[in-house]
This record gives sequence, C-alpha cells and structure tokens, in this order.
Amino acid sequence: MKKNEFLSKLADELKKKNTNDTDDIISEYEQHFAFKMADGFSEEEIAAKLGDPVLLASQFEDTGEYKISRGRKVTTAIGLGIIDFFAGIFLVLLVAWGVIMAAFSICSAGIAVCLVGVINPWSLIPHMPYLPAVVLGISMAALSVLSATGCIYFAAFVRQLMRSYSRFHQKTIAVASGRVALPSLGIYPQIQAKINRRIRTVALFSIVLFTTCLVLGMIISMILSGSLEFWHAWGWFGYEIVN
Amino acid sequence: MNIQYKKGVLELCVLSLLKKHDCYGYELSEYLSMHINIADGTVYPILRKLKSEGLLTTYLQEDSGGPPRKYYSLTSLGREVYEKERAEYLNFAKRVEILLEDDNNEKK
Repeated sequence: MKKNEFLSKLADELKKKNTNDTDDIISEYEQHFAFKMADGFSEEEIAAKLGDPVLLASQFEDTGEYKISRGRKVTTAIGLGIIDFFAGIFLVLLVAWGVIMAAFSICSAGIAVCLVGVINPWSLIPHMPYLPAVVLGISMAALSVLSATGCIYFAAFVRQLMRSYSRFHQKTIAVASGRVALPSLGIYPQIQAKINRRIRTVALFSIVLFTTCLVLGMIISMILSGSLEFWHAWGWFGYEIVN
Repeated sequence: MNIQYKKGVLELCVLSLLKKHDCYGYELSEYLSMHINIADGTVYPILRKLKSEGLLTTYLQEDSGGPPRKYYSLTSLGREVYEKERAEYLNFAKRVEILLEDDNNEKK
C-alpha cells in the first residue's frame, strides 16, 4: 500500500466514525511516513509496519475533546478584533516615533555638514566664527549617530513586538478552534551579542562626543565673543548687535 | 497478543517514557516498537486517548529546519496516575508470574 492510499483509507474510516479533528490524526501519520522515508524505508514497508488503517481507525475513541462551540469561536474573534484595533493604533504611534527619530538623525547630520562645510542654506545658520562652528558640527554629527543607533534598536524592538503580537493572534485563534498552538514569542528583540556590544559602544562613544563637543563649542564661543551670552554678542535670534 | 490486552500496558509504557523527557509521536512509536512487538501505528491512538484524559499535553516546537513538531509532555495529573498505575501493574505482574510459574512446576 502506498502512502496516499494508506492515509486516505485512514481518513475515510475516521470520518465514518465521526472522529473529531481527523486532520490532526492524519498529520501525525504523515509525519511518521516522513521520518521513516528519511531513514530510507519504502512507502509500502512503512504502511505495512503501521498496521491496517481500518484497525487503527477503530482504535481511535471518539473522545469529544475538541468539541468547541461556535459561540466561543465567535466571541474570541470579536474580542480579538477589538484588541487588534487598539494594538493597531498603538503600533502606528510606535512607528511614528521611529520615523521622528530617523528624521531627527538626518536633520542633525545635515546641520553638522552645514556647520563644518560652511554651507548656509537660506541663511538658516546664525553667524559664528569657524572654530566653534566645527566643534558644534562634530557634536551634531555625534548626535546624529546617537539617534541613528537609537532608531535601529527601536526598529528591532518594534519588529519583534509585531512578531510577538501576531503569534499571540495566531495562538488565540488556534486555542479557540481547538488546534495546537505554537509557543509565545518574547517581546524583546534577540540581537546577537557581538552586534549588541557594537551598538552599545557606538552609542556610548557618541553620547560622550556629543556632550563634550557641545560644552566645548559653547565655551569657545563665550571666549571668542567675550560674553557669557554669546548669542547676544553675535546677534542671534533677532538680537541687535550692540557695539 | 490481544490488542485490547496490550493497550493498557502500552499506555503505561508511553507514560514511563514521557516521564523521562518530552517526545514527539514518532519518537515514541520507534521506542515502543523497538521493545514490544506491535504495529507502528498503534501508539497514536494511545497518545490521543491519554491526551483527552488530561494525562498529556501537546505543544509545537520549531526545530532547526523542517515543520514544527508536535511534542507530548506529561501533566502533573499524568505523573500522579503513572506512579499509581505503575505500582499496581508491577504488583499485579508479580502475582501473575507466581501463578504461572507455579503451574509450570506442577507439570514437571
């Protein structure tokens, strides 16, 4: 007897008996065939060793374990729909936050390039001597790297959160309809230790560089302008230069 | 041997193996047919029955490559029932052995 013949005969017999969850039983035997065939047995041999499908079917008692009412299934579906709705809103917020972080990173990088390269598009960058501009430019570049690493980690987190949520969704449906459920997934992303260390080092380095250069840039500005409030001296933010 | 007769004992064997570690169906089938002369397919109805009685639970596990496998695991009720039935069976088997060997001696 071939595999298909065995399985269809078994399925027929089980259906005749009105056994619940015939598919589940059949899939067990299908797996048995798969394992045995991987060991090099022929389909006929495996079927012969499994035994007579009619006899096997008779050994399955109609246990009625999976008799789940339609009502419960519908309730679960409705509840899950409501949860999905709110989770969806939450997800939009999370993604929006990620986009904002990415935009922030790009803007910081742009400012850094302008400061160091003495580019002043639409006169957006207030006047200052070149030395503090370079130092502040480096600090902006570090800020850009810092927010980029934050963005990468956040993206990994959101991705894992989505996977975890979709597994929860599948599981809930599986349980409600009496199927076997896959295990839950954690919400924290599994990042390789080596990559994780690298991201951490980059983030730490950029924090230090950002704060040092920012403070240093301000001190240099104060010294060069001869005023604690150098923005007044250089006439930023609409202040008039007082001579 | 009579299949109904064997079935109760096979249930005990399945429980004993699952007490050691969680197994998937094929593993149990291979193990049993290695020790006892039964059709390979017999173990699946047993697993299903034990599960419906609440002695076993199942879970899926994704092993490297291939589709997820269905693992069987003993519940605390299963553990309890196993210990109880194991003791009963061993006691029973001992009595039967005494009876049958006694019969053998008389014939000699």
